[in-house]
Amino acid sequence: MVRHCGRVATLRTRKVSDERTLEHSPTPGSSPLAARAPRRRVVAVTGAASFLGSNLVGLLEEEPQIARILALDTRPPPTAGAKTRVYDADMTHPAAEERLAEAFAAEGVDTVVHLAFLASPTHASGYSHELESVGTMHVLNACRRTRVTKLVMWSQTLLYGAHPTNPNFLSEKHPLRARRTEPFLADKIEAESEALRFGRPGQGRTVTILRTAPIVGPTVDNFFTRYLSHRYVPTVLGFDPLWQFLHEADALAAFRLAVVRDAPGVFNITPDGVLPLGTAIRLAGRQALPLPRPLAGSLVGALWVAQFAEAPPAFFDYLQYVCVADGELARKTMGFRPLYTSREALIDFANAQHLREVKLLSETPA
Amino acid sequence: MKKEKRPPRTGTSAKPRARATRPVRDDTSAAANTVATPKADGQRARRPRRAAHAKVKEPQVPPPPAEELAPHFALDEEDEPLLEEAPELGLGSRMVPPHVGWSDPLDSMPPTSNAQGDVAEQIRMLEARLDRLIRTGSVPPDEPPSSEPVPLAKNEREPAGPPADDIAKSHYFEEHWGRKGLRSRSEEVDDFGLDPAYESRFRPIAEFLYRRYFRVRTFGVANLPAHGRCIIVANHSGTLPLDGLMLRTALRLEHTTARDLRWLAEDFLFYLPFAGVFMNRVGAVRACQENAERLLGKESLLAVFPEGVQGIRKLWSERYRLQRFGRGGYIRLALRMQAPIVPCAIVGAEETNPLLYRLESLANLVGLPYIPVTPTFPLLGPLGLMPAPSRWTITFGEPVSLDSAGPEAAEDHVLVGRLSERVRTAIQAMLDSGVRERKSVWFG
Repeated sequence: MVRHCGRVATLRTRKVSDERTLEHSPTPGSSPLAARAPRRRVVAVTGAASFLGSNLVGLLEEEPQIARILALDTRPPPTAGAKTRVYDADMTHPAAEERLAEAFAAEGVDTVVHLAFLASPTHASGYSHELESVGTMHVLNACRRTRVTKLVMWSQTLLYGAHPTNPNFLSEKHPLRARRTEPFLADKIEAESEALRFGRPGQGRTVTILRTAPIVGPTVDNFFTRYLSHRYVPTVLGFDPLWQFLHEADALAAFRLAVVRDAPGVFNITPDGVLPLGTAIRLAGRQALPLPRPLAGSLVGALWVAQFAEAPPAFFDYLQYVCVADGELARKTMGFRPLYTSREALIDFANAQHLREVKLLSETPA
Repeated sequence: MKKEKRPPRTGTSAKPRARATRPVRDDTSAAANTVATPKADGQRARRPRRAAHAKVKEPQVPPPPAEELAPHFALDEEDEPLLEEAPELGLGSRMVPPHVGWSDPLDSMPPTSNAQGDVAEQIRMLEARLDRLIRTGSVPPDEPPSSEPVPLAKNEREPAGPPADDIAKSHYFEEHWGRKGLRSRSEEVDDFGLDPAYESRFRPIAEFLYRRYFRVRTFGVANLPAHGRCIIVANHSGTLPLDGLMLRTALRLEHTTARDLRWLAEDFLFYLPFAGVFMNRVGAVRACQENAERLLGKESLLAVFPEGVQGIRKLWSERYRLQRFGRGGYIRLALRMQAPIVPCAIVGAEETNPLLYRLESLANLVGLPYIPVTPTFPLLGPLGLMPAPSRWTITFGEPVSLDSAGPEAAEDHVLVGRLSERVRTAIQAMLDSGVRERKSVWFG
């Protein structure tokens, strides 16, 4: 196994990689589409050290169709196995495009899984813009410069925005109406439109965008799980919107499917069933703390500024109005079948959380 | 009970006692468990500590969790020194809020023996088990019987506290926390937010309104299909729209197969706190094509009020005059989904809150479509919104079948307009005859 870490290492081993690519691709001269059918895929995963990235690398390691995996991140993923090459790639670096194109060309990448997105809102909005919006541009340009024909990108159903005028189930055709003033959402919407431009028909590229519902589960950590881990969970007085909770295993299964099968388009990846937020909080074993919206807005705004809150007050929309997506298309087209319903996913998350708490108690015995 | 059961408080007698009872408690026989009530546990757990307090130099005594102590000590002035100790013992390590009326597992944990080795061994066992759980992701089938396999049902019936192992089990929390926290709500709502448990709590109120208050008479229920998709098109009235709820109740009480009706409610409802959630949980769905299509796709019975807000904001002088029927969206829906339309006239609802005037500029500030002025409303305060007990009549007309036109006719605007007008006239005629035939607003 050759493992690259750091720029110097990458450049030094490039020649070796080139030879390997030739070995693996039987018809290097033919058109990429024709060649892809017999050839085993070389998949690059950006954001490979993130939750989705590292687990997906682990899943793809076991996939016989995948010849090689490029893990691109600033940290190596812990799941990297024999097939994986780790590249140190920072999407926020001005020369990221150059580096990515180099790596893609060196390894003969044909599929890019773009997961370098923040899972939770951050105070560093400048950084998040660089990472998500500009970083996506870097990745896509690197794809354009090389022979990458397939892109799988992570997006979220949050981008539809929570509005009282939303239908109960938002289809993929629904416009993304999330608040553009919130960088966490605006950058992702920009990234998505860039990816759609990249995948415009007639260019022989397959672009799959997976909009996942809020992901919860025993091991994932994002602002939903942190929100549901408070002893008192703030909610908006008089509102109890319906939510979906996607189990982490289902989310990963969806990405694996999207890599293994060619299903161009945008897909909502959602579980079966919905849960009212209040019910979800109680199932998680927490206590809802209903606040009137004006008070909640300013309170959480202050807490957010003081870095005590998970999310800025803009996210109160999601505690008031429905933002539930319809996953029918992914079921029909991609053959995605979620294993967990919203309720089961939430209970699985809550159980793990309780286990963790019990473990903490036993670690510091009374 | 506490005082009676308390054995003579001598530091020396407590230790052997606590030790002797442990193996008995591990045994799951009922006799042993009935003796070990949580209070007795608490006492036993405390006794060795008191002994420790008396003999200051006994370092083996493990400090107990603070919660375990607090409730007992609060009653007992003799234990003040220990009460002072409590905060140092890790207050706030309780996992669950105390107000949900279930016995905190920590309150009734197996008594901590004062023998250091015993506790350490227990903890090691628990840790090993947790590690195994985390590694394998499930409880291994060949669990050694030594790890106290107390069935959960038993814990609920008997006051004996669950051993620490059980707290680590996932279903423990499902049983104790989830269910009890959700007493009034069901754990799952349907896709559109109807909560069966929540609704069943309001069902008696709806039935009271239907049978006693509005004394609703329903005609032509036979016109509704026993199964399959169908759209009920009704007039909308009453400043507070109760007609959807009454239609739902009518269908449940009068229809032969007690069909479940969902109705489409105006957007503004979902901007409102409480009202939106309440209506959603008892069956209202936001009015839009996507929702309607999805509901009809599930072969459900759907009531629409094409007048929308225009219907409920009618002034008293305009009562029983149908407003415009939107842009005929419901016709397009019926054509696309090939669903029959049943016209429905609701007579009597206009009189529940006769609207004299609408305050609109003020309402915009609050996010309401209008603020009603009725003979009673601003005068009597919120009580004035109470509907007057007029007698209602709900009449279902002959179904209008649109089968002759295919789904593609939905794009034919002229046809849609003509069909919409036909349905509107049918309902207007039913309304007119209903109003004409009734002799009294209050007695029908």
